[in-house]
Amino acid sequence: MNSIGLAIKLGPTDLAKYPFLEEASEYIRETRFAIEELDRPEMDHILRRSVDILETEISAGKVYTNLDKYEIEILSFLVTLIMIKSIDLEPVTKKHSLLEAMRTEKFLTEDLFKEKSLQKKKLLLHKIFQELFEIDIHFDLDLTIFRLSVPDYLMRASKMNEQEWKLINRSVHSGYVYIDTDEAVRLIRSELSNLIYDRIKTMKIPVVPERVKICAEELRKKFSIYCTYRKHHIVSDYPPCIKHAIEMMNTGENLPHSARVMLATYMLTIGKNTDEIVTMFQNSPDYNEKVTRYQIEHLAGNKGSRIKYSVPSCKRLLSEDLCFATVDCENILNPIQFGRKKANTQ
Amino acid sequence: MSLKTSSENSSFLKGLFREYYFKDSNSLVTPSMIEKREFGYMSFDSIMVRHLSFRNKRELIARLVQESPSDVYCSNGYYKFPTNSVQSKEWEGADLIFDIDLKDLNMPCSSEHSFYVCDQCGACNVSFLNACTVCLGRKISRTTIPCRKCLISLKKETQRLIEFLHGDLGIADGSIEIFFSGNAGYHIHVPDSEFKTLDSRARSDLVDYICGNGIMNESIGVRKSKNGFYIKFPKSGMVFGWRRRVASEFGINQSSISKLKRIVESSGGYGQFKEDLSTKAKLIGVRIDPHVTTDIHRIFRMPGTINGKSSLLKVKSTNLETFNPLDSACVLDDRQVYIRSKVNLKLYLHENYFRIKNSIERLPAYAAAYMICKGLADFIK
Repeated sequence: MNSIGLAIKLGPTDLAKYPFLEEASEYIRETRFAIEELDRPEMDHILRRSVDILETEISAGKVYTNLDKYEIEILSFLVTLIMIKSIDLEPVTKKHSLLEAMRTEKFLTEDLFKEKSLQKKKLLLHKIFQELFEIDIHFDLDLTIFRLSVPDYLMRASKMNEQEWKLINRSVHSGYVYIDTDEAVRLIRSELSNLIYDRIKTMKIPVVPERVKICAEELRKKFSIYCTYRKHHIVSDYPPCIKHAIEMMNTGENLPHSARVMLATYMLTIGKNTDEIVTMFQNSPDYNEKVTRYQIEHLAGNKGSRIKYSVPSCKRLLSEDLCFATVDCENILNPIQFGRKKANTQ
Repeated sequence: MSLKTSSENSSFLKGLFREYYFKDSNSLVTPSMIEKREFGYMSFDSIMVRHLSFRNKRELIARLVQESPSDVYCSNGYYKFPTNSVQSKEWEGADLIFDIDLKDLNMPCSSEHSFYVCDQCGACNVSFLNACTVCLGRKISRTTIPCRKCLISLKKETQRLIEFLHGDLGIADGSIEIFFSGNAGYHIHVPDSEFKTLDSRARSDLVDYICGNGIMNESIGVRKSKNGFYIKFPKSGMVFGWRRRVASEFGINQSSISKLKRIVESSGGYGQFKEDLSTKAKLIGVRIDPHVTTDIHRIFRMPGTINGKSSLLKVKSTNLETFNPLDSACVLDDRQVYIRSKVNLKLYLHENYFRIKNSIERLPAYAAAYMICKGLADFIK
């Protein structure tokens, strides 16, 4: 979409909903806000709001949906990021990034549904989809259907677990995929989450204001209990691809779908039961016990298609960038042979 | 070349292949960004050499003339360091490639022109045996001489793939390159397109789209309910892609709610319809080799090189309708040589028909090489 012709600008309410946009940073610069000002008592309500946001997200695991005035929203967004940086707990950073992305998803879906002005809708698409993520997305004639290129769609949808996201279940024509408003917004969740995560990680704060430090320290103590990862013992006989996946799980990384399938099918094949495998996935930022259990039972052939899935071959894992072969992997075709080969040589 | 060949066979083929690479190197189609590709080859001793890199076509030809390999491969991927191990090559992208192979078409005529060759002693049979009747070896390879029907079916399947690539995926005809694989299939390349950065998972989704895997009842408006099912067509319509294909198959459109309801009921309800739909989709889909397309680190047969399974060239087709692979891909010398054929066979190659008997035969070198590569004859000095 071409930016030429977008005569209107984002308003204050937009900045309140999308405080990660460049225009919001510009607002902070224009108001000459200095980080030290957070030590002033009149900034207490901003600090309290940031604490509230983090309590809702980390302790309750919910999206913070309250929407305040844009000045408050923009400052709260900034202060929350500073607090997370000071709390310095990786799971908190990841969880906040994900829930903040889901918050944006909610506002953006509503805006694209309810907004009457076509120009305004186009502007939102341009600002969020194209400027942030370089996705060329267009409205279709009736303004409720969007179209984006097949590669842009596949790059994102192939990371979704649900079958409805498969390209075959979409309306596809002449290089474009046609999707609804909520689907278009859902597609960028993971990129939004990464954007916020990167903002936190790259943020440089020379001196954290004392009041922020105090709040952050209290939250750190509180959140530590949620952040004690259940460390799964890495059996030395696991093949390196499985070890790597477990290590990633242990640090709360969001494993891609293919890595989860590999880990679950491997564990099923070596005889672990569903409960044991479900607990392995507890550290995932998007962990949902019910969904995880269903998926494992599905892979085991006890649910859904009743097809028992095998461990993907080494060749397949290599093509999916999940192979971390060592010399011990020589001459094996499937990770499951790794243990057997070792046992045979002992 | 998978079948066991004697040193006489190898030396004959090696000489012919070398001559081709020396005289006709212009037929070699070097890929774009040659310096970023990984090359590899299989020697006549069945030794695979990988992780090679060439700065230009001249360097590559020099190596081919020097080694005269049985098969030559080039990566579909582009790398920062193509000669490193796969983990440290630093992948930058990969051409989209598709493989349509005769074996995946399950042709009913297949048994009429297939032979079973013992990997150990080279003895040949017209029917499948668990063990070789001569040496009792248990490793038997199947070799096939595609007939006219097979070649037509391969073209049709290729044409169906092109329709998906063009109509659904919007890839311009000019960006699609069709090659006869040199044996029994077609390779379709989409070089340097906007698909090049797609990872393996995304390509796997693309494969499922083309093959017709994973279609859901809901995507054509059949939704599950407590009491069975109900029909609600998708908002984005039934006129594009798979929805159009399925709608046309069932004779329905966006307003055929009661007709679709009857179809689902006559199928036996939601669950049975799901199975019927899945079967139908697989029949409509194109039979491509999924592994070729999803593998972003594959080294794939290089265009313009000789296929060691047949001695025919992997050659580009500019007009699939009029293209005859058995003429265009047959590029070797036509001097007369002697072979000992293991079978009786009628063969068409390079605009000539050969009626070959199970005995010593005098043939042009290209036909002799074809028979030897197929494991159906031995070279006689």
